[in-house]
Amino acid sequence: MLRPLPMKHVRLLAMTQDLPQASLTLAETESFHPDERPPQTQALADRPGREYGERYRTAATRLEKIAKLVDLPATPQLPRVHVVHPDELAAVGSLLRERWEEASRFEESFRRLDDEERFIRDQEASLANFANLKIDLGKLRSKTRFLDFYVGIVPRQNVSRLEGAVELADHLLFKYLERGDSAHVIIVGPRGEREAQLDSVLTSAGFQALPIPSDIAGMDPRRKGEELETRRAEVAGQRQTLRAELARWEREHRETLIDARRTLLLAEPFVSLDPSIHSAGHLAMLSGWVPARAVPMLEERLALSLAMPFDLESRDPRPDERRLVPTVPVKNRWLAPFAMLVKQYGIPQYGEVDPTPLFAATFLLMFGSMFGDVGQGAVIAAAAWYFRAKLGRFWLFGVMSGLSSILFGFLYGSIFGYEEILPALWESPIHHPILMLQIALGYGFAFIVVACLLAIYNRFAVKDPAGAWLGHHGIVNLVFYLSLGWGGLDLARGGEFGTPPLLLVVVSLGALAVYAWRHLDAPPGEKLLVVLIETLETVIGYVSNTLSFLRVAAFSLNHAALSLAILTLAAMMGPTGHVITVILGNAFVLVLEGGIVMIQVMRLQYYEGFSRYFSGAGHEFAPLRLRRGSAG
Amino acid sequence: MSATAETYLKTRVSIMSERLLDARALAEIGQLTLPALAERFDLETLVDDQLPPRVRARAVEQALIQLLLADLAVLLRPMDATGGSLLLAWARKYALFNLKTLIRGKVYELDQGEIRRQLYDLPERVRLPHQELFRAENVLELLRVLETGPLRLIARQARESYEQRREPFVLEAALDQRYYAELARTASRFQGEEAQAVAQLLGAVLDRTSLLWLLRFRFAFGFSPSEAFYQLVPSTRLLHRERLLRLANVDGFEELLDALPAPLDRLLAGCGDLSEVQRRSNGLLLEECRRILARGRFGVPRALAYLILREQNMRLVYALIQGRLLGLSQEVVDIAIDLVEPKCPTRLPAAA
Repeated sequence: MLRPLPMKHVRLLAMTQDLPQASLTLAETESFHPDERPPQTQALADRPGREYGERYRTAATRLEKIAKLVDLPATPQLPRVHVVHPDELAAVGSLLRERWEEASRFEESFRRLDDEERFIRDQEASLANFANLKIDLGKLRSKTRFLDFYVGIVPRQNVSRLEGAVELADHLLFKYLERGDSAHVIIVGPRGEREAQLDSVLTSAGFQALPIPSDIAGMDPRRKGEELETRRAEVAGQRQTLRAELARWEREHRETLIDARRTLLLAEPFVSLDPSIHSAGHLAMLSGWVPARAVPMLEERLALSLAMPFDLESRDPRPDERRLVPTVPVKNRWLAPFAMLVKQYGIPQYGEVDPTPLFAATFLLMFGSMFGDVGQGAVIAAAAWYFRAKLGRFWLFGVMSGLSSILFGFLYGSIFGYEEILPALWESPIHHPILMLQIALGYGFAFIVVACLLAIYNRFAVKDPAGAWLGHHGIVNLVFYLSLGWGGLDLARGGEFGTPPLLLVVVSLGALAVYAWRHLDAPPGEKLLVVLIETLETVIGYVSNTLSFLRVAAFSLNHAALSLAILTLAAMMGPTGHVITVILGNAFVLVLEGGIVMIQVMRLQYYEGFSRYFSGAGHEFAPLRLRRGSAG
Repeated sequence: MSATAETYLKTRVSIMSERLLDARALAEIGQLTLPALAERFDLETLVDDQLPPRVRARAVEQALIQLLLADLAVLLRPMDATGGSLLLAWARKYALFNLKTLIRGKVYELDQGEIRRQLYDLPERVRLPHQELFRAENVLELLRVLETGPLRLIARQARESYEQRREPFVLEAALDQRYYAELARTASRFQGEEAQAVAQLLGAVLDRTSLLWLLRFRFAFGFSPSEAFYQLVPSTRLLHRERLLRLANVDGFEELLDALPAPLDRLLAGCGDLSEVQRRSNGLLLEECRRILARGRFGVPRALAYLILREQNMRLVYALIQGRLLGLSQEVVDIAIDLVEPKCPTRLPAAA
């Protein structure tokens, strides 16, 4: 489970006309991850799938736009898997063009109705405002012999410029209302030569004239409101008619559109492979990564489906290709939520140990020990189970964290903070703080040693022996750390640091300093400074990182102390107050402390663990697939 | 911006300004052959193949823009949000070019492939979300897409004008206007003495733009004073709102040049046509940029001045390479160079 699935690099040589079929077969096997590197030979300079890809993208875009108006299944069933010929793809593109032109007209009609509705709303606002004006706006309805009037709406950001522009045409602009992005304005000026200039300016400014009712002076607001309501109802009626027409159109073309979707799904693998396919005349080449155990099956399927001869060559990844090899993710229901958290940091590089199982085990151990309580653990587990639909794969993570908390709760003898109800199977942290700190320190030491061992293994696995010996957290570092631990333990027991561990510490630090010196390209003074600082940093880093694990004990103590505080408060209340305080206090501990503990555990994992041994520089295996669903 | 970042930025700009071409370098590269030009600006792979000249010229232009945007990325690093937003607002002109290309392509029903070839490849923070726009199959659809994004007000006003006139000018003018208005708005976020320094440079940019637009709209397109004024962006320097209102009402080309404030009146006196005005006003802007780059106190205006000058250099190199690719005579190339990199007739003091 810790080791990656072995992969092979495969190179397929096939006839160009067989490529669509080859793509389809590769997609059906779901075991081919394309390698998009250009070929080493210049002869394979052609890209045979380019035109096909263009046709596909045009057609797919049209269908996507249609699917925004009508409900189409994204992945319909594919009753028959067949190769999509370029002519068939072109025909689908033409058909979708016609359908989109029709659908686009619906979209445009909906837009016009939206505009009309917005205009009615503006009119309502405008009329409400007119009613408060102390002038007879009825006189503005039509141009008079000497005066010219415009009443309407203009985007707010254009008002200032429009004001200047109308001024140049000897007109005045009066803004009487601002609503959203729009301003309601009245423009007044003398009739004459300059009046004509205004029309194009108003168009450029996005001016929209508002009709003024003929009887505005003596207007009955209720009657006018009813008129606008009638217009609104008319628009709603038109919208309903349009929706019915659209539904009719959808019924008429639904099958055709779903068929088009099927064709595009079948064409998709070839298009996805396009960057990996290179050809010269009739001969085409594509390459990719395949799990070693799937290679024979792949060859067999190609032999069955391809009409023309082909050649499939497979080999182990070369050392220089290691970074390019995709990593097949762990497929385990219980580890899936932890894998998602590991993925937040990175994907294991091919050859590296997959840290997910170790991450899961240490995460649960640390979370449980820092938040050990039977009752609160049960609440976490029950809440995760209850909300499993919303939490997706994370519900298992919640349940397992809760169970770990319950387990440690039994060990500590704690239930909702009470320590007198359950007998402790081991010890209560609050009563043995020094022991807890010692255990945490020992755990931290072991954790860092394991992290260093994994780092060493990973370096050897990716063929980096120098890094494994003398790199960060390599063998020499480990010798230093173990010697430091050895001497430190003797000191803690009341003895001395001891000569053998001291010698080992000095020798390992000396080796690291020499290695750093040789790899630095700087003047001697600068080199000396850097080496000194790096050596000091190594010593301080390991000591402080080990001490960092004291937080595991500190939080278990903190948890017990917080519970004690809540129970002390509760004891000061009456029976009802006691219950309320215990419930609220536990909720507080669950939300606040639970969250903090979670963050602290993640910090220890990412910073003290992953940063030592896990590069996270890999990329996930993403095989070519044929998308097909069950919806019809 | 912190004092350290400010110092770093100014040092960066000073180092980068060494790349700018001075008069001697300009004279030298004006005489270079195509292979020598390609080698000098590291463009050998782009010009040394069998592609048609138009395609190669396009690739060269794209490569030069990438060089400019790489400089922009370096300058943005130490800047705070205000400084960064000014430089990005300036660089979005390339996104605007793309948008105009799309609109023009849709209006004139060009082939999708042809439109795509005309688009600049831009980094994400400069780019407009034009993928949706590109997928539109006609102008009405394009306008619908525009209406759902940040340009919705422009799209709405452009729709009516488009439906009436069926030409993209109004929409393009609105986009240009919005670009400069956004630039002016971003500049107004600065405070204290730095705000004055930014306003000084932006003012020079807007003065030049407004003057050219005013002359073009009034006397080349025959717009009325109202129409012409509506399309302009007032500057905070010479051509402010009140002055533009007065200038827009002037009826003759020479009269308008006479009515300009100092030092523009002196600089542009005797210009017979728009291209001469463009040439001289370009010279004034470049002079102002050089002055700010050499003596400016603040990093952000100096960085912007550098980018304007660098862009000018790139345009010059592009004009040269294009001239060589098309096999134009040295005389014609020299005229083109002079338009791009004019020699300022007078050394003017910093305008108020």
